[in-house]
This record gives sequence, structure tokens and C-alpha cells, in this order.
Amino acid sequence: MDVRIGVDIVPVQRIQAMIENTTAFPLDRMLSATELGLCRGVEFDVAGVAGRIAAKEAVFKLFRATRGALPWPTIEILKGAGGWPEVELSGRAAALAEQARIEQISVSITHDGPYAVAVAVAHIASA
Amino acid sequence: MSSALSSSIQEIRDWILSKHPDLTAVDMSEDLIESRLIDSLSFVEFTFVIESASGVTIDMEKIDIDDFRTLTAVEKAFFATR
Repeated sequence: MDVRIGVDIVPVQRIQAMIENTTAFPLDRMLSATELGLCRGVEFDVAGVAGRIAAKEAVFKLFRATRGALPWPTIEILKGAGGWPEVELSGRAAALAEQARIEQISVSITHDGPYAVAVAVAHIASA
Repeated sequence: MSSALSSSIQEIRDWILSKHPDLTAVDMSEDLIESRLIDSLSFVEFTFVIESASGVTIDMEKIDIDDFRTLTAVEKAFFATR
């Protein structure tokens, strides 16, 4: 059994700028409806969104996909029973994970001040 | 290049330059992804900018990344029929 790791860092300010973008709302294409619901209380949890985006990027790196853009909505970062982040894949992301022989993914997210960081670890089945 | 087309491409170029104040120009053949002028975080915004300039709706599930790699590729993929 192999293990693979992915990491990513997202400046919180970039997410703040996306949220304040009045001409378009890219987060609609990057977060699923469930994720938007988890990130939006009275206001957006901007650092939480940045962490979720970093986690999606970290998970995508596990796939080692050589073609195509990051399939944002099909890599969902949801909330486990105890509040920890859990990864749910669907559509193209699930297909990429299968191609990469990924069996199980776990992620960890942190944010402090201007940055959010996420690490993703996957078990890779032997060929 | 027709003036309507060149102004649409200029609109897209201006958006890229707005994200990179240190730059003064973006060549039509520059690889926007390899050079990280467009990264995975800004890529989604980039699709919105192209949609608004071209009027073409982009299906994120069916895209070919090479259609976005250079301004020439963007022009060919999203403005050729205009």
C-alpha cells in the first residue's frame, strides 16, 4: 500500500476579492450548494472558504491528473460528525481518483492570519 | 482582426493585467497556465471573463484546458464564429 500527499496554500485575501467581485461569483462554480451552506452564516466565513479551496487543490494534486482543469464542485469538503473535514468525490473527481487507484483520502485544514493551508493524504492501492 | 474581436481580446488581456500589476503586456502566444498568469484559483474567474466577453457559456465539466492556454487559443475557441 502506497501513500501519497498533497498540500496547498491559499491567501485569504484572494477569496475575499472573489466574494466582493460584483460582476461574477466564481465561488458558485467552485463550491457545491452544500459547501456554500456550510460557509455562509450571517456572513461568509472567508477563512473557512479559503481552507476549503486549499483542501480541494490538495486533493486534486493526489490525482496527478495531466489534463483538464480542477473539477471544483466534484471534490466536496464536508463536515464530519465531530466537525473535522471529510472528502466526498463525485463525477470527474471520482473517476480521476479511481484512475489513480486512490482508496481513501483524508484532509486537514488550518488558517491563521492571511493564509489557509490544507494537506491531503491518500492510500493508493497496489496495481 | 476585426475591431469587435480585438476589443474583446483586449478586455480579457486587461483583466489578466489587472491581476498582475507588475506586467505591462501579455503576448497572444504566451502560455498563461505554464507562466501561472492563470492559476487554478483564478481559472474559474477567467472563464467568467471569457463568457462575458464572448457571450459563450462554458461548461466547466467539458472544457479542454488547451482552449485557455494562450490568448490566441482563447480567440480561436470562443470568438472564431463571431
